[in-house]
Amino acid sequence: MSDTTNLSPPAAETSFIKKLGLDTRLLGMVAAFIVLCLLFNLITDGRFLTPRNIFNLTIQTVSVAIMACGMVFVIVNRHIDLSVGALLATCSAVMAMTQTVILPEMLGFGLNHPATWIITILVGIVTGALIGAFQGWLVGYLGIPAFIVTLGGFLVWRNVAWFLTNGATIGPLDGTFLIFGGTNGTLGASLSWAVGIVLAVAAVAAMWAGRRAKLRHGFEVKPVWAEGWMSGLAAAAILGFIAILNAYQIPTRRLERMFEAQGEVMPEGFTQAYGLPISVFILIAVAIVMTLIARRTRLGRYIFATGGNPDAAELSGINTRLLTVKIFAIMGILCAISAVVASARLANHTNDIGTLDELRVIAAAVIGGTALAGGAGTIYGAILGALIMQSLQSGMAMVGMPTPYQNIVVGVVLVLAVLIDTIYRKRLGAR
Amino acid sequence: MTTPLVEMRNMSISFGGVRAVDDVSVDLHPGEVVGLLGHNGAGKSTLIKMLSGAYAPDAGEIYIDGERATITNPREARSYNVETIYQTLALADNLDAAANLFLGRELTTPLGLVDDDAMEAETRKIMGRLNPNFQKFSAPVSALSGGQRQSVAIARAVYFNARILIMDEPTAALGPQETQMVAELIQQLKSEGIGIFLIDHDVHQVLNLCDRASVMKNGKLVGTVNTKDVTDDDLLSMIILGKSPEAKAQANA
Amino acid sequence: MTIKSFVAAGAMSLMATTAIFAQDITVGVSWSNFQEERWQTDEAAMVAALESAGAGYLSADAQSSASRQLSDVESLIAQGVDALIILAQDAAAIGPAVQLAADEGIPVVAYDRLIEDDRAFYLTFDNVEVGRMQAREVFAAQPEGNYVMIMGSPTDPNADFLRGGQDEILADAVASGAITIVGEAYTDGWLPANAQRNMEQILTAVDNEVDAVVASNDGTAGGVVAALAAQGMDGIPVSGQDGDHAALNRVALGTQTVSVWKDARDLGAAAAEIAVALAGGSAMGDIDGAQEWTSPGGTTMTAMFLEPVPITADNLTTVVDAGWIEQDALCQGVTDGPAPCN
Repeated sequence: MSDTTNLSPPAAETSFIKKLGLDTRLLGMVAAFIVLCLLFNLITDGRFLTPRNIFNLTIQTVSVAIMACGMVFVIVNRHIDLSVGALLATCSAVMAMTQTVILPEMLGFGLNHPATWIITILVGIVTGALIGAFQGWLVGYLGIPAFIVTLGGFLVWRNVAWFLTNGATIGPLDGTFLIFGGTNGTLGASLSWAVGIVLAVAAVAAMWAGRRAKLRHGFEVKPVWAEGWMSGLAAAAILGFIAILNAYQIPTRRLERMFEAQGEVMPEGFTQAYGLPISVFILIAVAIVMTLIARRTRLGRYIFATGGNPDAAELSGINTRLLTVKIFAIMGILCAISAVVASARLANHTNDIGTLDELRVIAAAVIGGTALAGGAGTIYGAILGALIMQSLQSGMAMVGMPTPYQNIVVGVVLVLAVLIDTIYRKRLGAR
Repeated sequence: MTTPLVEMRNMSISFGGVRAVDDVSVDLHPGEVVGLLGHNGAGKSTLIKMLSGAYAPDAGEIYIDGERATITNPREARSYNVETIYQTLALADNLDAAANLFLGRELTTPLGLVDDDAMEAETRKIMGRLNPNFQKFSAPVSALSGGQRQSVAIARAVYFNARILIMDEPTAALGPQETQMVAELIQQLKSEGIGIFLIDHDVHQVLNLCDRASVMKNGKLVGTVNTKDVTDDDLLSMIILGKSPEAKAQANA
Repeated sequence: MTIKSFVAAGAMSLMATTAIFAQDITVGVSWSNFQEERWQTDEAAMVAALESAGAGYLSADAQSSASRQLSDVESLIAQGVDALIILAQDAAAIGPAVQLAADEGIPVVAYDRLIEDDRAFYLTFDNVEVGRMQAREVFAAQPEGNYVMIMGSPTDPNADFLRGGQDEILADAVASGAITIVGEAYTDGWLPANAQRNMEQILTAVDNEVDAVVASNDGTAGGVVAALAAQGMDGIPVSGQDGDHAALNRVALGTQTVSVWKDARDLGAAAAEIAVALAGGSAMGDIDGAQEWTSPGGTTMTAMFLEPVPITADNLTTVVDAGWIEQDALCQGVTDGPAPCN
């Protein structure tokens, strides 16, 4: 993922890095993550860092990571959203009913109609956006604290989902819809390489374009060798990630069945790679869009300004109430996207879908460096936070650690992460 | 007599039954500095926040260049070129100087994206004029000294061609040298024809910097005087006793 | 063939075929909610059986989350297990996990809860038989009169299996008029408090004219007995299941007629044996005791149903001998009762 592209050698620490907020904090997080992975790899006799497990880890992280991106905005703006898991459930229930009952039966599309998936997803996203905007309106315009609004939402939306489905598991879902779940929808080797190359080229091009713009204004830039080193690292990280995913082969039996389905016999020794899962691709797209919003749009600028000093933002003419509505609407949309991934992964809508996700999402954002006091946080940090949480859980389960210890460790890590962050910020004198 | 740049007539506002500002009228001419004096809670800041759009008045009228002006929020105030430097500085601590300077009025690229480089370049230009020692362009303003923060706030007002500038205790957090810098800046802005409302506790400073001074007590206007006609003691007695020195009171003619 | 001897025989036959493979076989177990006490018993039996077969044991706990369980199964597969035993949190949502296992050629045992997939081997106790046993024992004690049926949770398919079995036994007597069913009620969430409330209402409605109660488990039986005791009617035949300690004590006291006991250790051991056999290459249909079975959802699967044991005053010693309950707990407050409480 592109997170690691921001790695920089201490020697190249210039104002550019500071300006992007790329500091020792991020390096520390990446280092902690790498140490964690190596440790698990050692204990599991090299099973943790196999292409297969890395593939699993990425698809397991997607749902929480997508919502964590939105939670960054919410927390940066000094709010909190406790309803994301429940909102995910409602969106998932609405989409499940849309694709299994409303479209096929009421509107006579029949099962697995080619338009079902897109209509379903649109319905889900609209649902998420409306519910999110409504909660944002309660917070922004009626002045009810977000904690209370979303605590209420936590109860309401979980049970609206229940009501919509009568608590039943709804499935199987639409055939096309399932490609968003992970294993059932991957890009394959060549397309994955294509995506990787496009991303790598785009990342490098963005770096050099930034440099050109700075030169045009006569600003200080880092030396060419450092820029080149960074570009190389970014490209290597992206392509390395793709290479790992491509190294995971589709199991032979699954391939045989795919050939059988087309009435053919699989040639001897035929292999095929999974490649980049579509769900992970969606996460990457969400991360890029959200980072662009945070850094390059007025909306993002206002979110951070309001989080830093709500009075200053208001006095600067920012409509902070409407801003709150927009933030919660974005959160709702991301919950809906997350619901697509989560329900497609299970191939069903279950009544308990998204339970406790609100805590995982908040934890991911906080471990990723989002300050609960507001005003500070990054999208890539939150994704890295989600990845660390999932790796920790997955790794501990793999090591065979008993359940209570697993949860104790996750809890301790959460508190420790915030403690380290607090100490770090104090030393920096920022807050 | 010239048309005043700003006239606030019979302004009143209440908060929970307390009359914070009660039937107060003040005015301001181009190139003039008017000091607003009074104790904490006398209503100075509240009065001025009705001009900057932070509060909507219960009663009263505002005229700008002789025209009736409707100001109900900060954006409308800005459209009349009213700029405010707040006591609390109103800076977002987590953002850098350029982001603060352009907050709410960002420069954008043709695609509508925020153009940080262009904003930084503009910030460098104006800071070069106002405070040439300023170098921390990429640090969040929380990392700046009080004087540096004040210069960011002033730069924000100056950059957007303020005609009416409201300064709420601009030197409260500053050392002597930085205070001197702000004083020079006020003279410079005045010579450019900008009208300035200066809210301050420091009677001495008001006498030095202002042409006229309006004194408030308990939400009411005690009186407005020409600073060259009064002494420190006159002003102090107005502030403390709430009484206008009879002979000098009609200075705003 | 009794369960014990079946398991033993099965184990023997498996030993013969799997001995050569067993060294490198690892069985992965995905629990839906391990914090529930009863699965600890199952696990101990499973581990013991795997150890004696020379196979390894890996486990994961989904903590009542269907999505977490999918991740758990992926992780177990990534760790290279040769067979999976899955206690499914959700019968349908576990589908993708079974799919993954099938892709890798890993056999799956659906443990105690149904997985709607013909590639899974369904192992559970025979719930219809449990219902038959409950009705049979109550009917033996009270062959005529007014009956009340206290059923399980309306959302649990097992509740209907049980009722089906009970009806099989009582149908003739109902038809002949020897038995009249004067009241019946589902118990929301299997909660004893709900069973008690329902029983109280039925007693009020029929003026206490009740001669026997068929309750579907020990929890609801507890509620029923409490309602009967309030009317001084405790002692009439009442059924139950699960071998709850409190229920066995009631059997010793004579306020409950039967508790159908499903020995979790038999289920755990059988699952381990089956998993090892399937990992060793046996076909599902070749497992001793396997039968073809059609699920309520219409899936034809290979399944095996263990027979439960009805515990009545006549065989209370069984549960003590099996180490299921301490004699002190069983006989608490019992004087001069049935063996071993005398």
